[in-house]
Amino acid sequence: MGTLPFIFPFAELEVGQHLYWQVGSLRLHGQVFMTSWIVIGALLTLVVVGTRKMDRDPRGVQNLLEFLWDYIRDLARTQIGEKAYRDWMPFIGTLFLFIFVSNWGGALVPWRLIKLPSGELGAPTADINTTVALALLVSLSYFYAGLSRKGLRYFEYYVHPTPIMLPFKIVEDFTKPLSLSFRLFGNILADELVVAVLVFLVPLVLPIPVMFLGLFTSAIQALIFATLAAYYIGEAVEEHH
Amino acid sequence: MNFYSLFASGGFGLNLDLFETNIINLSVVIFGLYKFLPNFLGGILKRRRDAILVDLKDAEERLSEASKAFEDAQKELAAAEQKADQIRSDCKLRAEAIRLESEKRTVEEMARIKQGAASDLNAEAARVSSQLRREAARMAIEKALERLPDKLDEKTKANFVTQSIKNMGDS
Repeated sequence: MGTLPFIFPFAELEVGQHLYWQVGSLRLHGQVFMTSWIVIGALLTLVVVGTRKMDRDPRGVQNLLEFLWDYIRDLARTQIGEKAYRDWMPFIGTLFLFIFVSNWGGALVPWRLIKLPSGELGAPTADINTTVALALLVSLSYFYAGLSRKGLRYFEYYVHPTPIMLPFKIVEDFTKPLSLSFRLFGNILADELVVAVLVFLVPLVLPIPVMFLGLFTSAIQALIFATLAAYYIGEAVEEHH
Repeated sequence: MNFYSLFASGGFGLNLDLFETNIINLSVVIFGLYKFLPNFLGGILKRRRDAILVDLKDAEERLSEASKAFEDAQKELAAAEQKADQIRSDCKLRAEAIRLESEKRTVEEMARIKQGAASDLNAEAARVSSQLRREAARMAIEKALERLPDKLDEKTKANFVTQSIKNMGDS
């Protein structure tokens, strides 16, 4: 993505600075990879630690993980429906946990202590590439879910109430990943920017409520992304007859 | 986002500027979460754990109750089977006894009937022979009465009358 300079009279604040890694002809955003790996590592550690010594009476991390599992199962079951939610629960849960931990990690971990040659560490979801990748995965998933469950009858969905709906449904297939990715990316980036700008203007106290608000919206965004992904999958596997 | 200071240094490193890294605000936020989250999340988790423990205890109680009931039922089954066996053998014995008894009674009855028939036959024979005898006597008397007027003359009549009178006088 290009550079969007925000120029202030007394300080420079820029987005679009990245730590580029050259792989073949691809220029990867290195800082996103690093924070993603950290997030993935943290999640894996949490899960491995929580499930290593499982007890019948849940305590500590196991209890937390079971609580999250319950939460994700309820989410998937309400959106996808009793029949198919089991197949898609891992996907929905992964989306939710990854986005949630990314957002909160970006907001809570003092990444700026670490200086990079270019760009800076932050939430992986504040980079449009991450969110687009997640949204495209959701698109693939709901196509796969519909086609694998209903075969070619899946395309009846496009003309479902009336054939007039056909163009809208086709456009929807493009707007779904677009809105998913931009909503998440925009919210997280905006949150980081607001905090950064406020820190520039009023370094102390004033950013704190905004940071709490940011934590709240981050959590909500993770929930929205997971819920919408589940809803799209549920829409694809729903039987109309 | 990038701060101008980063361009100057370049490469990886630590940025220990208090204000640029926003570390003060961050620590306040993290401290607030640390104060607030354990109460909130911990409460939820504790309630969940308690509910699960109660469920488990309930399930265990139900299991023990059910196994106790099962054991009781098995015992009852065993007792009932034993009782059934007993009843069956009693029945066999009684059936045998009844069979023997009724056989005996039948044999006796048959003997009695046979005897009764024999005695009936004897009585009938006796009755018939006495009747025959009486009939024969009646016919003999009739015949005698038929032939009596021819053989009875005055003299014999008088003899008979005197004889009879004499008999009467003797008696």
